[in-house]
Amino acid sequence: MSNALKRIEIPIALTIIATLLQVIPYYLDIAPVKNAADQMQTVVLIIVACATFVGVISILQVHGKKIQRKSEGWEYSIIVVLGTAVMALTGLPLAEFGLGTNNAIFNYIFTNAMTPLGGTMYSIIAFFITSAAFRAFRAKNIESSIVLVAGTIMVMGNAPLFTNALPVLADISLWIREVPNMATMRGVMIGAALGAIALAVRTLMGIERGYLRGGGEE
Amino acid sequence: MAFLISGRIFGLVCLLVIMGAVAYYIKQSQGGKVPKLRRIPGIDAIDEAIGRAVEMGRPVYCSHGIADLRAATTGPQTLAGLSVLNYVAKRCIEVGADLTVPVRQPEVWPIAADIVETEFKLAGKGDEFNQDKIVFLSNNQFSFSSSYMGMMMRERPGANIMVGAYWAESLQLAETGARIGAMQIAGTAQTSQIPFFLVTTDYCLIGEEIYSAGAYLGNDAELIGSLAGQDIGRILAVILGLLGALVTTFGSNAIITLFRM
Repeated sequence: MSNALKRIEIPIALTIIATLLQVIPYYLDIAPVKNAADQMQTVVLIIVACATFVGVISILQVHGKKIQRKSEGWEYSIIVVLGTAVMALTGLPLAEFGLGTNNAIFNYIFTNAMTPLGGTMYSIIAFFITSAAFRAFRAKNIESSIVLVAGTIMVMGNAPLFTNALPVLADISLWIREVPNMATMRGVMIGAALGAIALAVRTLMGIERGYLRGGGEE
Repeated sequence: MAFLISGRIFGLVCLLVIMGAVAYYIKQSQGGKVPKLRRIPGIDAIDEAIGRAVEMGRPVYCSHGIADLRAATTGPQTLAGLSVLNYVAKRCIEVGADLTVPVRQPEVWPIAADIVETEFKLAGKGDEFNQDKIVFLSNNQFSFSSSYMGMMMRERPGANIMVGAYWAESLQLAETGARIGAMQIAGTAQTSQIPFFLVTTDYCLIGEEIYSAGAYLGNDAELIGSLAGQDIGRILAVILGLLGALVTTFGSNAIITLFRM
């Protein structure tokens, strides 16, 4: 590759142009800029679609090597490679050949494997919440005691067993959620938005280079 | 003016004021007036976590979240996570730690791989870079989290650093890390996930702290200066908040009208 193409200024310039094309049309109604932003969105979608293959290649490389070397758990890698290949091939957008999202094999795996496995992973969060709550709800100091009391009231305020006996619990839990909790969340959100703006300014000025190779030192 | 979009004018003014303040403090820092930075324990603990993993002979995991770079609110979090990855990779190479980077978004994978590879090259160890350590797991949320959890249970990393945008998988990952005894540093600006990280990790970076991490770790005068500029925005937000509460209490809609300009 030519040395000119390796220059760090190129990705920085692209980042600046892409950022401005996102920000300007949001605030200003300038037709040429809006058109350019729309064009850029299309380009981004094409890049993202191409990047999907990067993921597939990475999976095949990692698991292919595991199978080849018969590393620990290589049998599972066969399932990964087969699953990736079958889903990628049967899901190709070629409806005239019976492929795509209406393909019977694709649909069968999606409905009977992908969906229930995803549901299972989501549902186990309940158990993780229990173990995390067990760790968090310990009155070690003032802060954790506040968490313990607030958490207990929130749990009780959402359980009819307690709210029937003590209706005030529902009001207290609602107050906790809508006043101190809401205020804290808004504070965090305002802070995060300001942080994102500062990051954008640093990026626009070309001084935020952490996401570039070696911070642009190469 | 015809080209200004109604309802967004005040937002634009606020944005320009904050951007101007950030740019001003960056210029000030370039002139030698570098503001003092408060210590952030979570970021300071990154070196300790990596050192601990090396002493235990275990790998270091560093994730930059599961978001892509395109979304307006979560994209910057991924950038912040990549800045942290840059530092973590540098430190891991210096102390000989085995770094693994689990990736969810295919389009972020080349960037993460490039960051780590360049750090190896900068350290004169380009031949030691192993691309398989920047592992793309899946772009499906729960396939990613189950793979990540499985890897943690098998390889038992000594340190698990997660900075970026996370959703429902945050608790799964952090709780698994806690279960295997990894020293964990996590950070996100996703308000619904911060409580999970707070209770399950050793150190938690809250909201804006993740955006400061790159500047903090880089210890660069210009980057630190930009953090001071943020404070102007914070002061502006407090003034508008107080003014809004006061004015609305007395029955006026002036601030709301101003916001809707």
